[in-house]
Amino acid sequence: MMSGAVIMLVSDDAPLGSWCTSGEASGLMEEAQYTLGEGPCIDAYDLECPAIEPDLANPETVRWPAFSPVLLRAGARAVFGFPLRIGAVRLGALGLYRDTPGPLTDDQHADALVVADVATRAVLALQANASPSELATEIETGANLRFVVHQACGMVAVQLSVSLTEALIRLRAYSFANDRPIAEIAEDVVARRLHFDPDSEEIYEQ
Amino acid sequence: MTEAHSSREVLLTRTLVKLADTLVEGFDIVDLFTFLADRCVEILDVAAAGLMLPRTNGELGIVASSSEAMHILEAFEAQSNEGPCPDCYRTGQPVVNLDLATAHGRWPRFTPRALVAGFRSVHALPMRLRNDTIGALNLFRTHEGRMSESDVNAAQSLADVASIAILQYRTDIDLRALNDQLSYALNSRIVIEQAKGIVGERSGTDMAQAFTLLRSYARNNGRRLADVARQVIDGTLRPESF
Repeated sequence: MMSGAVIMLVSDDAPLGSWCTSGEASGLMEEAQYTLGEGPCIDAYDLECPAIEPDLANPETVRWPAFSPVLLRAGARAVFGFPLRIGAVRLGALGLYRDTPGPLTDDQHADALVVADVATRAVLALQANASPSELATEIETGANLRFVVHQACGMVAVQLSVSLTEALIRLRAYSFANDRPIAEIAEDVVARRLHFDPDSEEIYEQ
Repeated sequence: MTEAHSSREVLLTRTLVKLADTLVEGFDIVDLFTFLADRCVEILDVAAAGLMLPRTNGELGIVASSSEAMHILEAFEAQSNEGPCPDCYRTGQPVVNLDLATAHGRWPRFTPRALVAGFRSVHALPMRLRNDTIGALNLFRTHEGRMSESDVNAAQSLADVASIAILQYRTDIDLRALNDQLSYALNSRIVIEQAKGIVGERSGTDMAQAFTLLRSYARNNGRRLADVARQVIDGTLRPESF
């Protein structure tokens, strides 16, 4: 059982702040990482793998000399960070904390990876101005983004001279605006039937 | 022993030795699996090979494919949860010598797609870890007829090496490390897909050619495929210089 959670978004390697928090010390967990530049979310983001500290008070090695004492004072004893990412698209991290020490069980760890996956998709969908119902449908139906979406993402990034993150958001936004599945849009991009034009908002079909 | 047969044995042995070396030196799991898929095609009487591992939510994801045609079919298998790999993964049993002409009932959506792609028979072998099945090796052939028993055995050895590779990747392997590892491997695969899109767009090639470009560059320069892909994405490596 977790005591709280935070979703921290990062843009261009600088923390943007939290997207949402729950639990008493969550605000602090986010704020401390933002201010101090260290903590489980920042490590999970930088290292692209989970950052796990099951006992902040008695760590095997002190990983966050500034962050840990602040969290301990706020009552947290164990903290966990999980990256939010899709390939090279890195959005931030999911942070969890608990007021009792101890590791996550295997099931909890696996669940956290799934939650991070869902949160990643939610962040992307909301950045593409999806409504909550569109988001719900998408999470329900499209468990995995198909590979063609990632290929299209690379192509659109070149067409628009934008980052992969931005390209994925644009693909998403186009899919929502035209009420067509993102995989279908992606297939059109990869088959070069659809091209994203940097000089206008218009996207023309060749 | 025929000459073709003996040269196959030599290649199989070399592959296993090379894999053993790699396991000692440290390696990238996506590269290793791509190497393994390529070698399956050279060693076994198959046209295409691929490896799939489960994601954290239990669905299968693709880690390596020897060709784009294979990749598309594996993506379909992963998405629809239908085909030799999902069956093999679910049951833990090999799926061997399945003639696609008779497979319409078993895989109504997968079969026509595989036939259109030119494949005639399909096989899948489990990657096993103790009593668990941790993934599957897909082998597709463009002609009918049975795969020889020695080919099936050789294929199972390669699948077993793939399982060992996953174990070796983390010495303190437990279910959690395995989960993180698989999650990392599947994510690396996504990075490669994103880079394929960039290379394809910059060089005006399709995804199959883009993959070949990336892979040849990685091979010729002794680099990891995922590292090359990341460099293409962050712009420190231009596809024009391939």
